[in-house]
Amino acid sequence: MDELEVLRVRDEVLQAMYWMHAEAISSAPTALELSRFLAVPEGVLATYLDRFVADGLLEYDTTATYKLSESGLDSGKRTFADEMADLTRPTHGECDDDCWCHDSPEAAAECLHERSGKIHSF
Amino acid sequence: MNAAEKFIPSDTIPAHVLPKNFLRPCLLLLLREHPAHGYDLLERLRPLGFRRDDPGRLYRALRSLESDGLVRSVWEKSTSGPDRRMYELTRAGMEFLHESAQALIETDQILDVFLSRYAEFVALDSAKRSRARRS
Repeated sequence: MDELEVLRVRDEVLQAMYWMHAEAISSAPTALELSRFLAVPEGVLATYLDRFVADGLLEYDTTATYKLSESGLDSGKRTFADEMADLTRPTHGECDDDCWCHDSPEAAAECLHERSGKIHSF
Repeated sequence: MNAAEKFIPSDTIPAHVLPKNFLRPCLLLLLREHPAHGYDLLERLRPLGFRRDDPGRLYRALRSLESDGLVRSVWEKSTSGPDRRMYELTRAGMEFLHESAQALIETDQILDVFLSRYAEFVALDSAKRSRARRS
């Protein structure tokens, strides 16, 4: 098993399971439910789930469901925020929520044109 | 059995057809109305034609929107349960929403042409049947 891939899948699974748990969608999904949620083949995911159980991040139940352990919960929550932190930070010159440009597509185009010097195409 | 019935199984014909990637502008619209967390979005998507039983699709769409910088999320502290992600629109998301709305207006105009031509066809067919019944 490629360890880099294990780390990538681990973050994906823990983040998704934390989200499902926090939104009260499911706190203990089966491998099938989780594979549908992430849109990956169940057979592929199952191997990783076993690994995460062995690593103490997940707990496997007799009803064939997986639950986040305490460290799995912490890790899922932490990596979720870290991953997106740099992507959604406001950029220099970004207008605020009350800007007049939110009123219409034409206003948005004009605002963008003023800010960036580019023509906004529809 | 006509050609369409032979080659298209009836269970593959959707009850309604939504434009491709319609979920993205819908989510942006809902977040323009007000910031929301996942469960709330799942509920509010129903009047826009989305089923409530596919939370994974919503999750993946939100992740994709966030990766594209169209949406951002922050932790919402909870006193009674786990903290949740609260999603809100970014400036880029607002611009994308305007562009999507413009594209949907154009799609709507094309659909109008299709439906008016279809209505003519159906009306003609119906008129023929009425004449045949009378003769």
